[in-house]
Amino acid sequence: MQAFDHTTADSTTQALTILQADASGASKLIAGGTDLLTLMKGDLLAPARLIDIKPIRSLRYIRFADDDGLTIGAGTTLAEIGRDATLAERFPILPQSVRDAATPQLRVMATVGGNLLQRPRCWYFRGPYTCWLKGGEECFAREGENKYQGIFEQSLCAAVHPSDLAPALIALNASVEIEGPNGARTLPVSDLLQPPTADRRTESTLADDELITAIHIPAQPANAHGVYLKAMDRRAWAFALVSAAAHLATDDNSVMTHVRLVLGGVANVPYRATDAEALLIGKPLTPELAAQAAEAAMAGATPLTHNGYKVPLARELVQRALLAAAKR
Amino acid sequence: MPIRIVTTRLEFEGQVYEQRVVLEGDEPPVWDAAADLHVVGKPTPRVDGRERVTGAAQYTADVHLPGMLIGVMLRSPHPHARIVSIDASEAERVPGVRAILHRFNTGDLKGTSAGRPIFAEEALYQGAEVAFVLAETREQAEDALRLIRVEYELLPFVVDPEAAVAPDAPRVNTEQERNTISDEWPKTYERGDVEKALAEADVTVEVTFETPTALHNAMETHGGVASWDGRTLTIWSSTQDVFGVRTQVANALGLQQNQVHVIKHYMGGGFGAKFGAHNSGILAAYSAYTIGRPVRYMLDRTEENLAAGNRPMSRQTYRLGARRDGTLTAIDLRTLGNIGALGGWFSSVGLPAKELYQCENVRSVDVPARTNLGTQASFRAPGVVEGIAGLEVAMDELARALKMDSLELRRKNHAPRYQLIDQPYAVKTLLEAYTEGAERIGWATRDDEQRRYPLGRDGHLRRGVGMASQLWGGDGGPPAQAIAKLLPDGSAVILTGTQDIGTGTRTVLAQIAAEELGLPLDAVRVELGETEFGVFSPPSGGSMTLASVGPAVRMAAVEARKEMIEIVSHLAEAPIDALDVRDGAIINRETGKEMGSVGSFLQQLEGHEITARGMRGPNADGVIVRTFGAQFAEVEVDIGTGDVRVVRIVAVHDCGRIVNPLTFSSQMEGGIIQGLGLALMEQRFVDERLGAVMNPNFGDYKVPTIRDIPEIEIITFNHPNERANTLGSLGAGEPPIIPTPGAIANAVAHALGRPVRRLPLTPDYILNLLNGGE
Repeated sequence: MQAFDHTTADSTTQALTILQADASGASKLIAGGTDLLTLMKGDLLAPARLIDIKPIRSLRYIRFADDDGLTIGAGTTLAEIGRDATLAERFPILPQSVRDAATPQLRVMATVGGNLLQRPRCWYFRGPYTCWLKGGEECFAREGENKYQGIFEQSLCAAVHPSDLAPALIALNASVEIEGPNGARTLPVSDLLQPPTADRRTESTLADDELITAIHIPAQPANAHGVYLKAMDRRAWAFALVSAAAHLATDDNSVMTHVRLVLGGVANVPYRATDAEALLIGKPLTPELAAQAAEAAMAGATPLTHNGYKVPLARELVQRALLAAAKR
Repeated sequence: MPIRIVTTRLEFEGQVYEQRVVLEGDEPPVWDAAADLHVVGKPTPRVDGRERVTGAAQYTADVHLPGMLIGVMLRSPHPHARIVSIDASEAERVPGVRAILHRFNTGDLKGTSAGRPIFAEEALYQGAEVAFVLAETREQAEDALRLIRVEYELLPFVVDPEAAVAPDAPRVNTEQERNTISDEWPKTYERGDVEKALAEADVTVEVTFETPTALHNAMETHGGVASWDGRTLTIWSSTQDVFGVRTQVANALGLQQNQVHVIKHYMGGGFGAKFGAHNSGILAAYSAYTIGRPVRYMLDRTEENLAAGNRPMSRQTYRLGARRDGTLTAIDLRTLGNIGALGGWFSSVGLPAKELYQCENVRSVDVPARTNLGTQASFRAPGVVEGIAGLEVAMDELARALKMDSLELRRKNHAPRYQLIDQPYAVKTLLEAYTEGAERIGWATRDDEQRRYPLGRDGHLRRGVGMASQLWGGDGGPPAQAIAKLLPDGSAVILTGTQDIGTGTRTVLAQIAAEELGLPLDAVRVELGETEFGVFSPPSGGSMTLASVGPAVRMAAVEARKEMIEIVSHLAEAPIDALDVRDGAIINRETGKEMGSVGSFLQQLEGHEITARGMRGPNADGVIVRTFGAQFAEVEVDIGTGDVRVVRIVAVHDCGRIVNPLTFSSQMEGGIIQGLGLALMEQRFVDERLGAVMNPNFGDYKVPTIRDIPEIEIITFNHPNERANTLGSLGAGEPPIIPTPGAIANAVAHALGRPVRRLPLTPDYILNLLNGGE
């Protein structure tokens, strides 16, 4: 890690002012720091200045709206999401998604905003190798040690997005509220997280001089239930091999009137299985239909040398998540 | 006292050595089964538990000396390269930088690997030392590190062990013709006629089993803090062998051994990778000596995982032959192992094949492969963990081929005598361990429908039960010395040169001394982990610390007590035979009355401290001393996700007399958990195109967490092994890890109804297996 200055911001306005005053882009916001510090220790980032937004109390809240929607301050920690009783009752998929994220120590520090912006854990990206995502020519993972990487090709990079929260948020059709030099804007989480491109070698479309202030979750259809399942190769402190977030609503005849199905651990960003959703909508869920949906969700998968196992694993989680969500 | 020099056989980490040692005096008779012991054998909390949990215990990295410099290392990013030039001029100008050491300014400063310079011309693996920066702070040193310019000439490299031993492989080290240890390798052991026996066998099976490269990941990394005062070099070293460090540092610096003082008071784990100073310790000592300022150099986690040793992978190919009735007639084994860039020995993967089962025709071929990767190191029962896993998996497969119960197959082929040379075992309780473990795990019901399919046949869970055997030495041997000092107030100090590497050595030695001195435990202080006490102890490894040092402490305490009783006899005018000492009080044996405390007598004399020496005697001739045991595992496999959960482990081990049931069970649990890691998740990943280790950190190299740990049931026979040593005790450090991976692998195979071919049993492997892959 290289030396840096540290400034504490009292408000988002102040944080943005400092951030925008630095034309070179050498300043970075820090909240929990659970990802940023690992990037700095790994010499992937060497900001000249850190602007600490952790103390901004106004970023830290869970607020239920009158229309049954929900707003979560971007500075809310994963631990706070995990232990909120009302959230557990009304949006159980959210506490479920953070339950097995990282460790208790990390969840106490990690914030919702930072969780969405964390960078991939691909060994080549994190290690001292100039891979494509870091501006190089080649994605080393494609032909290398890719056991943990993606099975859907979304860019030259094979890395998967590490967040547990993001698939659940996309399943809930959440959006982020953003403040920047041109004022505020709102963006669906599924637009915030986009596969990297040749010109934007990162998974987030947030500009360097912008700040996420809140996550908004709209009111969900009546009788909607969600389930988040995560497969790990250790029973704690492991990123998802594959995860599945299923959110669905049924009418009085058990016919699905609303379905969103999002997979983690399979692509550069959480992967919404729209073909599977289309197959499910308007029908009652049976084990056979869940199996067909799982098959449809894997259509187009192109597993790499060491991650073929993710296909049957994802199929299994999709079926279990759908059946569990339908049972609620 | 007259001395004698004897030659004795020592088994260490599965290898046998003959060594000449000096002995003096006579050991007391062994504590047999009838011995009436009051402190030994009782569950005793660690005497240093408080320091350890409050943070008061000073580990090597905690040592902070005035004016101390911090060292950091620039390491080769390349798997094989010649270091052509180094430009450190810019780095030297960073404020706080005091020195930058590299191959062009350290002459031929030798490291601890194969007599090579620490800063060699040729970097043989990613992580090899290139330049060492010393600065006032770690931050300054790291800033300077980034400014060092190194010109590398890249050389061809090989990291795959099978490719490394192929005829046209690139040379791992341009100074060596072949990628192996020496021209003596591969080595073959053979007894009988294996090919003939295989040809004549009723049933044969061929099994290839692979174990991964595992990283030690002790909590405390390698390193040292060194200080030179113009007369003496003191080094706090994270080591399992303070005397080995003394020799290495004295040789490296050209000092006399009386100028080197080595300290290791508390240890954050070694697991076999710390027999010596390591290059990091030599560099700390060399820098302190040449610069004249204290120096601390501790490896960071990445360095630890690249350059401080590993349990090498093994690829074991077995061919077993048997008669229809299950009698084993042939064992053929080829073992390929990856010794890394500088490995000089081959771990004992073949030992179980040669010894565990009665078999006349056995061949074991050891094929060491040198590669451009970090060098192997001993790792808790090196080779034997892997060998037991491979052999026991093969035995289960033979049982399936014979349609025989696998435990029955093991009983049928039980080896009553040691077969490498024909000798009896001092004690062998393996059959009893099988019976005890089978009963506790419920072996007889392992195929019951409800047990195999907890959610029914259509459910996604499968349960399985498997087992594996354990054999290990753990007898230790001489030389090991101790001094017992009885002070005027009746308190005692025990001095040894051994190390407590986390096993509870301080506590068990205090128990042994308290037992013989007749003192309460808190009246005995044990000092260890220093070369300065003048009492030699061997390295702490090979499960031999208790069995080597314990008898020396016992003898010293017996001698001190003799003098104590003699003194009391004079002062109290009572015959020696009438006197006993118990719990700090002198007792008249005839009347049973207390005559006063030990201190009340000794303080009648002017300034007398009793000082007595003890020495571990020679190992018994004509018998083989072994720990034996068996472990049984019950697992639950989710066939939809490939997730393997270990539900329960039953561990039955014979380690002779148990001195402290608490530290014993700590060893058992720790070994089982470490073995579970190897079975289910631990694995070093290497990119073969880059020659680079992908997961040299705790995030990506997974070790078990508390959630991964099953219910563990520990059973021990607790009978003294009277031929082992005067305690009747054997080491317990290595036995518990030995059968764990094999038992889990066999349980998973049982759950799935098909064999497994490798470790670790990760979800990807299980899913590939269930989807028709290998």
